[in-house]
This record gives sequence, C-alpha cells and structure tokens, in this order.
Amino acid sequence: MDRTNRFWRIVLLALPLTVFGVLVVWPLFTSFYYSFTNWNGFNESYDYVGFDNFRKIWTDHLFYGAIVNTAIWMVAAIFGPTVLGLTLALLLDTNIRGAKIFKTIFYLPICLSSIVVGQIWIWIYQPDWGLLNTMIESVSGEKFNFAWLARPNSALYSVIIAWSWQQTGLAMVVYLAGLTSVPSDLLEVCAIEGASTWQRIRRVILPLLTPSTVVVIALSMINSLKGFDILYIMTGGGPFNSSDTLAMFMYNESFKKYLMGYGSAISVVLFLIALTIIGVYFRQLKKVDEIYG
Amino acid sequence: MADVATIHTKRFNPWPVTIFVVLVILAALFLTPTLGVLLSSIKTTRSIALGDLWSLPDSLYLGNYIEVLSNPSVHRYFLNTLIVTVPATIASTGLGVLAGYVFAKLPFRGSNLLFLVVIAGMFFPPQVILVPLFRLFNALGMIDTLWPIFFVHTALGIPICTLLMRNFFATVPNALREAAILEGANEWKVLTRVALPLSLPALAVLATLQFTWIWNDFLWPLIFTQSDEMRTIMLGIVNLRGQYTVAWGVQGALSLVASLPTILIFLFFQRYFIKGMTMGAVKG
Repeated sequence: MDRTNRFWRIVLLALPLTVFGVLVVWPLFTSFYYSFTNWNGFNESYDYVGFDNFRKIWTDHLFYGAIVNTAIWMVAAIFGPTVLGLTLALLLDTNIRGAKIFKTIFYLPICLSSIVVGQIWIWIYQPDWGLLNTMIESVSGEKFNFAWLARPNSALYSVIIAWSWQQTGLAMVVYLAGLTSVPSDLLEVCAIEGASTWQRIRRVILPLLTPSTVVVIALSMINSLKGFDILYIMTGGGPFNSSDTLAMFMYNESFKKYLMGYGSAISVVLFLIALTIIGVYFRQLKKVDEIYG
Repeated sequence: MADVATIHTKRFNPWPVTIFVVLVILAALFLTPTLGVLLSSIKTTRSIALGDLWSLPDSLYLGNYIEVLSNPSVHRYFLNTLIVTVPATIASTGLGVLAGYVFAKLPFRGSNLLFLVVIAGMFFPPQVILVPLFRLFNALGMIDTLWPIFFVHTALGIPICTLLMRNFFATVPNALREAAILEGANEWKVLTRVALPLSLPALAVLATLQFTWIWNDFLWPLIFTQSDEMRTIMLGIVNLRGQYTVAWGVQGALSLVASLPTILIFLFFQRYFIKGMTMGAVKG
C-alpha cells in the first residue's frame, strides 16, 4: 500500500512540480545570481560584478522615488479599496432590494483588463473633454483643463484612484464572504439589548470580520507591489519618474535600458519586500485561525 | 406575523430607503467609467473632440466598430490571444488537478510545506522572475513566438489551481476513494472516474478565473513578443494607440471588443468567478 502510494505521488506530482520548479522556482534563484552580474540582455557573456548593483541601488534617487511611490500606493490601497469595499459589503448585507444587481455592478471592473481600465481612466482625466474636468467646469463655471496625468504632483494619485476603482470589488467580495459567517441571532440579541447600528458594527461585526480584514489588507499590499500594467498604459512611470513603482522601475531598467543585472538586483529587493508581507500574512492567518477557529 | 407587520407600518424605518439611495449613487459612480467607453465607441472622434463624449447620443454611430472589426491586425491579435489563453487555461487547470489530488488525498511527510511553497508562488510580483525567464526563452530561440507566454501562464497558474483543487478534493469523502481502490481501481482511475466527475463546479471556477487572467494579461506578451504578428489583444490596444492617436472612438470600440469575452464569461459564470476569487483570496 505504502509503495503504491509513493508511486502515485511521484507520478502525479512529477509534471506540475517540474513545470513549477523550472519556470518559477529556478528563475527566482537565478534572479539572485544575475543580480551580481552586469548582463545586458543581448550578449551571451557577462561579468561578475559583486555587490556593485546593490551599491548602485542605495545611491539611485530613482530607486528611492520608486520605494516612496510603492509605499504611497500600498497605504492608499489599504485605505481606499478596503474601506470602500467594507462599506459596500455592509450596505449590501442588509437584504436590500436589487442587491444582486448592485453586486454585479461593483464586481464588474474586476473582470476588465488593467489595460482597458487604464484606457477608460485616461479619458476621465483627459484635460480638454475628460469627465473630471468637465464636471469641475460645470460646477465652477470656468474653463478648467488641468492635465492630471501629465503633472508630477497628481499623476501617481490619479493612477491609484483608477486602480482602486478596479480593486474595490475584490475587497467587497471578501468582506461579503466574511459577513455570511456573522451569526444573525447574535445581531438580533444586540438589537433586542438596544445596541445602535453603529455599536453593532463597531463592537460585533468588525471584530468578527478580522479574518477578512487580514486577507483584504494583505491582498491590497501584495497587489500594490504588482502595480504595473495600469501604470504602463496611463503614465509609463512618468512624468519625470514621478509615478514609478518598484515593478515599473524594474521593468524600465531591465527592458528599456537593458541593465538586466541591475534589474535583477531591483527584483531581489522586490522579492524580499513581498516575502516579508507574505510571511507576516501567513503568520497573521495562523493567529486568526487559532482565535476564530 | 400580523404584529410584526403593524409595528412596521407604525414606525417608518428610514434605513432601507437611505441605504438604497446611497447604493444607487455609488453604483452610478461606479458605472460611469464603463459607460464612458461605451459612449465613446458609438460617437465620432470629431464629436468627442468637441467635448461631446459624456452626453447621451441622439444617433448610433457604428463606424468605430466597423473600423475595428475590419482591421486585419485586430483579427491577428484575437487569434493569438485565443491560441495562448485556451491551451494555457486547460494546461494549468490540469496540472492543478494532479497536484491538488496528491495534496488532498495522498499527503506525505513535508507535503504541507511543499503545498505552502507552491501556494506562495501566486503572491510574488512577476517582475521577480522576469529577467531569468527572458534569458531562458531567448536561449531557446522562442522570443517573438507565443510559446513562452503559454508556458509561463501554465506555470503561474499552478498555485491557484492547486489550491482550489486541493480544497475541493478535500471535500470528496475518503470512503469513495477507498471503496474504489478495494474494487481494484488505481489512483489514476479514482482521480479520473470518481474525483473529477464530482469536481465539475471547481473546474468551472478555475476555467473562468484562468481564462480571464490570461486573456487580460499584458506583461508577459510585452516581454516575449516583438513583431506585430505575435501581439495579443491587450498589447494590440496599446499598439493601435499609436495608429489611432486621436481616434478616440476607435480606441473605445477596440477596448470594448477586447473585453467582450471576459465580460461575457463574467456575466454568465459570475457565481463561479466570484467563488474562485474569494476561495483564492481567503484560503491563500
């Protein structure tokens, strides 16, 4: 029995693990290796440069800009889609009429490509006839043609808002799933005891939603590290690198400037940040599991 | 019941109405961007440039769609995207079925750790493996073909597929497997004849999720393809932006046409889609 089991484990796992190993795990490790070289993407040969790439990182102001922007993106991701998603979930969980249609409307952006989302929002921010400026004009009564995506001060935030529009549905879905596990008799008891709606949300529902919150925040942080496609189409990291994130910066250095060695070093930093978040996330999940079963 | 009804009629509860109104406003705000593309696609570029994009049209202009659908490049993009998306969806789901079955039904020492390592794969930004994969496929002479996109999506789909299939197979009673084995079936027979027929819902979840992600992907075709013949649809949108710099209506029509497959899948298989999203998110 044991031997046949072992045989089948090997047979069934061979293909998936080989593909995963060759195309995901192995590249991850070779990324570390290339970060110590100056490979340029074309030549077969390259030199071993030791810690040069990492030394360059610490003095590269573009890198600092990318780190700061990624951090801004993360914070915005935690507060924007999470809070809005929670609000929507709470509103939709009240057996409201048409809840199903509302849910579909809020989910819909999830199934769109970031490229299409970016395209849509470029038009909202379009200086001459974009929706945002048109609305500002109709309120103020004056001509307004601010180029949201072409100004260093507003480009990053404009992209983050577009991105949040797409991500809110995901947060809402996770919270809605979490809300189904809040016992309704508990809420009835609260109502009978005279707890206000606000008290019920703050003292009962939110604590019970902790597992969902951990998931949503971790996902937001991880997804903000992946923020690339929508930036690529909306600003390309510009103007003057003002909306560069680490993912964008890594792509530009590797595939625009063909500094693949340097790009690998950036990807190592990106990996370490992601690893930290994932590590904290798994630990929190375990803690949450212990408390909430 | 009658008592409840009288209480309700006596004291008017303003909450449901308020919530409903708030939701309608939020839904309208949420729909506006999508509505914008829809509007742009049925208007002439001239009227958009004159600031007429955000008003309801008095006539339906189909010229943008004709322009998009008669463009041979667009046909090429669509075909390429299908050639990558369908096989990669099937392959990643298939590999997830194999691995998920072992993790659920044939656990071994260290299998939990191995499972965790595989699952972790879905959380990392793809940039982390960009350079080595480029070098690998460059050495294999596969740059500017569709092969690397297929392989990479198959590999990157393994974590989510394994996760969902393991969770699903875990709900298939062990007694079923044991009974089949006592009757002389081997694991392959148990998997294909007993477990798989039961897991059609899970397969539907994965198929919709994977199809959507791969169809919508932009980064991998950007890295691996160079010539226009090999572009996928999302890259095509970016490419055609050069060709139609100010033809906003055409761009809108193209965006909609490119999103149609995933929107249709989403609307028809919404239940599966959402289930996959939450399962992937919550259990990760």
